[in-house]
Amino acid sequence: MEFIKPGTYVDFMRLARPVILTSITLVCLSLASLFFPGPNFGIDFAGGTEIQLAFQGDVDTAELRGILDEIGHSGADVVRVEGQENEFMIRVREVSSLSEEQTERLEAAVGTSVGADVLRELRVSPGGDKLTLRLARDVDQTALREAIESAGVSVRDVAPLVGSDDVRLEVFLVGIADEIVQELGERLGERAPGAPERVEWVGPKAGEQLRDAAVKSLLFAVAFIMVYIAFRFDLRFAPGAVFAIFHDAVVTIGIYVLVQKEVNLTTVAAILTIIGYSINDTIVVYDRIRENMGRYNDKTFREIINLSTSQTLSRTIVTSGTTLLSIVAFFIWGTPVIKDISFALFVGILIGTYSSIYVAAPTTEWMDRRFFSKPARTVVRTPARA
Amino acid sequence: MDRSWYFRLLLILSAVVAAWLFLWPSLDQAGWVSAPDWVKARFERRISPGLDIRGGLRLMYEVEVDEYIRDRRDRYSEQMVRELGALLGVVEEDEMDSITREQLETVGERVTVQRVGRRAIRVVFTSEDDKSRFDTEWLERKFPDLRLSGDEGLQLDLTMREDRIAELTTTAVEQAKLTVSNRIDGLGLREATVIGRESDLIVEIPGADQAAFDRIREIIATTARLEFKVLDEEGTTFLRDLDRSTLPEGVTVEAESAPAGETRPSVSSYFLLSRAPKCAERDAECTSARERLEAHLATLTVPDDHQLVVNELTVSELSDLGREEEAWRTFYVFRTTNVTGEDVEDAFTSFDPQEGNRPVVSLQFNATGASKFEEMTGRNVKRRMAIVLDGKAESAPVIQARIGGGRAQITLGTGDYNRLMDEANALVVVLRAGALPAPLRPANEQLIGPTLGRDSVEKGVTGALVGVGLVLLFMLVYYQVAGVVANVMVLLNVLFMLAIMAAFEATLTLPGIAAMALTVGMAVDANVLIIERMREELRAGKSPRSAVDQGYARAFSSVIDGQLTTLIAGIVLFQYGSGPIKGFAVMLMIGIVTSLFTGVFCSKVAMDWLVRGARVKRLKVG
Repeated sequence: MEFIKPGTYVDFMRLARPVILTSITLVCLSLASLFFPGPNFGIDFAGGTEIQLAFQGDVDTAELRGILDEIGHSGADVVRVEGQENEFMIRVREVSSLSEEQTERLEAAVGTSVGADVLRELRVSPGGDKLTLRLARDVDQTALREAIESAGVSVRDVAPLVGSDDVRLEVFLVGIADEIVQELGERLGERAPGAPERVEWVGPKAGEQLRDAAVKSLLFAVAFIMVYIAFRFDLRFAPGAVFAIFHDAVVTIGIYVLVQKEVNLTTVAAILTIIGYSINDTIVVYDRIRENMGRYNDKTFREIINLSTSQTLSRTIVTSGTTLLSIVAFFIWGTPVIKDISFALFVGILIGTYSSIYVAAPTTEWMDRRFFSKPARTVVRTPARA
Repeated sequence: MDRSWYFRLLLILSAVVAAWLFLWPSLDQAGWVSAPDWVKARFERRISPGLDIRGGLRLMYEVEVDEYIRDRRDRYSEQMVRELGALLGVVEEDEMDSITREQLETVGERVTVQRVGRRAIRVVFTSEDDKSRFDTEWLERKFPDLRLSGDEGLQLDLTMREDRIAELTTTAVEQAKLTVSNRIDGLGLREATVIGRESDLIVEIPGADQAAFDRIREIIATTARLEFKVLDEEGTTFLRDLDRSTLPEGVTVEAESAPAGETRPSVSSYFLLSRAPKCAERDAECTSARERLEAHLATLTVPDDHQLVVNELTVSELSDLGREEEAWRTFYVFRTTNVTGEDVEDAFTSFDPQEGNRPVVSLQFNATGASKFEEMTGRNVKRRMAIVLDGKAESAPVIQARIGGGRAQITLGTGDYNRLMDEANALVVVLRAGALPAPLRPANEQLIGPTLGRDSVEKGVTGALVGVGLVLLFMLVYYQVAGVVANVMVLLNVLFMLAIMAAFEATLTLPGIAAMALTVGMAVDANVLIIERMREELRAGKSPRSAVDQGYARAFSSVIDGQLTTLIAGIVLFQYGSGPIKGFAVMLMIGIVTSLFTGVFCSKVAMDWLVRGARVKRLKVG
């Protein structure tokens, strides 16, 4: 069986100019999309609210995730607590943050209620679901509650913290968690969750440190790959490969941002995979170009690119095809998490296949024409065969 | 078939057998293929599924920020004494750090520095004249973190600034997070995540191995504040004058003769000794000798610049100590010290030949630490110096001479060889990672299921199996005989990858699986490249034999270039990446090595057999 007839010759380079322009536009659009609408960071990067709930009947992660999706908390983490019957930890991205104005009103209200000299410190948790008060002496909790509620927030519970020199109170506010508990209760009927065991704001799992590490390592990787290509192939090949890698990663991220899928740690893994794939794809075409350059001294660089791309077309289609085939399986058997990563891979591999045909080689040809060739005819140097 | 072919076949077969043996226990653990006991006993290493796939332990700690702030305040109060010494002209400004005992006493006569509450310092002058030398401009220059909160008569109250406290809180949590991550890395155990939140730390550890959890808990909870403190033997007379009737049961006041410096004769030094039968583990009712002693120490008042630290006695120090008994004593030390764990550059376990090769921890100070240590030991020759770790003295050797070179040794307490060895190794990990800025208080702990959700994991497995199945089927139909060879190689590649993971006890996480999928894809690609090349050669009319040789020879450069560039990316990601990126990189590097081995080396052996051994007339490559 053969998808591509032997001896097929496609004049790919005829379309090089419009295609390259399209690619550049795509890259620019993708870069712009990082600012508008901007990536939709998931819990891993943005943090969120964590709620621990015990349910009164059997539920499973898929069901809970489904309900959370319906009530507008897409991409929630649902983790079973082992050793407890039907206890789950739910993490949603939403937080019940208070506005600056609300915080100020709160401070003023509490200050007048307990007295400015008694209130030593009032801290609002970044999740907006907890106030921590440090007081010089004990105060009437009912009055405190009223003061806080007068600022426009609802109090669920007040708990003193033990083991401090001064009086410390933790005030739990009604927020996102209570809405979720209520919605879950309505939908689950008698399996409804009890009052939350724990509600907490959680910081991002992957903060700036990880992002910086990712960016730094990618830049270094690209630099080293350029050096390798310049050494093994020829200097003019390097920018094309790097542009192809950059193109694939950026356009995939762009599409991801445009469809507003959540960017999580799994997305990072997918992008890394796409980059790996893109490198390999590009190198295979380069290798054939190098081989043909040594073989056909009478052909122009353009013709050699066309010939090489045509010769490797069968392989390109088979490899991309099999990879896409295996990804499709994850679309059918997959939960939202898996579908998201499969989506990124699917898009990335399509773009990677396109770029290995149309981005890397044309860029190389352009480099060759612009910086290396003599005006009359492309002089093809014969690089050292591997 | 020639000799080299048999040799290559033998190599592959032994690799397959070895890989299977390494992987078998992991498959057994997953409940897929049961392994015989002799395999499980000999090949102990297993793949450990990560938190996202398998679940694990989630520990929550509260960083005791108040302690951190109090500690800062304490440091400022110590520094305050010296700065005041310079302000009053008792000591030169540049000799402040090596202020002598006599100079300190002179300063003490003119001004006292007390600690008030958790955030304030009180300075009391004895004369109006001395007080007039103090002004807020001096305070702001020397102690930007303190503000003047009270000025009454000869007394000044200085309090930590509120905005500084907020900053210190953030710093303490950040530093605690970093230290805990470093310690877990130092343990080399597994991928754990550390998340910071306000004043909390959340540590998530994959797996279900209780022993490993215990080790991690211990390593995290150790504050590891290491300090070298000189003993004040002469100052212990207040212990002699204690009202003996107030002492709890089992606690006595003892005396010993202790060296008190090069020029002076030995003096009588007093200490408290607490003896009690050893408590059984998990016996909450039982009060140990240490607890009794520490409870009593809390009721004693000692000057701010001194402290009592506890130390466990061994049978060599207390000859009538029974086997089922333990004994703890006190050392009276100067609180101020210049030499702490912060100056430790490296720590390692070594063996002390003078003590029957028992494990000790050797320290190497950095340059500043070395000079401070030399200076401190030089000033206190023939005095005892306590090595204090988290408030407990590990030992208190007599300084025989000035110690240069920045080396020190910590002799650990009692216990058998294995316990000491474990203790020494744990101490090395925490000393290398640095001290926690403040103690951590365990807040909450629970076992959690896979963070991806059990359903995702189950469906992911199905998806992977179907995906691989589809690819194999396609290869078979499209490339026929060559496709069979390629499929076998792809499966072998998966076997080798997993076996290497097991051998390194790697953690399998979702990013790792993504890398695995990528390298399986690249292994398929290597085969596709070679087979496509063979097709071209066959079309050109070559014999199967030369088509195979030419196919491999020509495709080799594409395969090797593609894999090597990806390997470069893998190495860089491993070097600079962290967490999930590192997991991805490790799998990528493993995968590239195995896919080169199977795709180029193993498949050539199979193809050679087809065209040479079986001598096929027509090679079916689809």
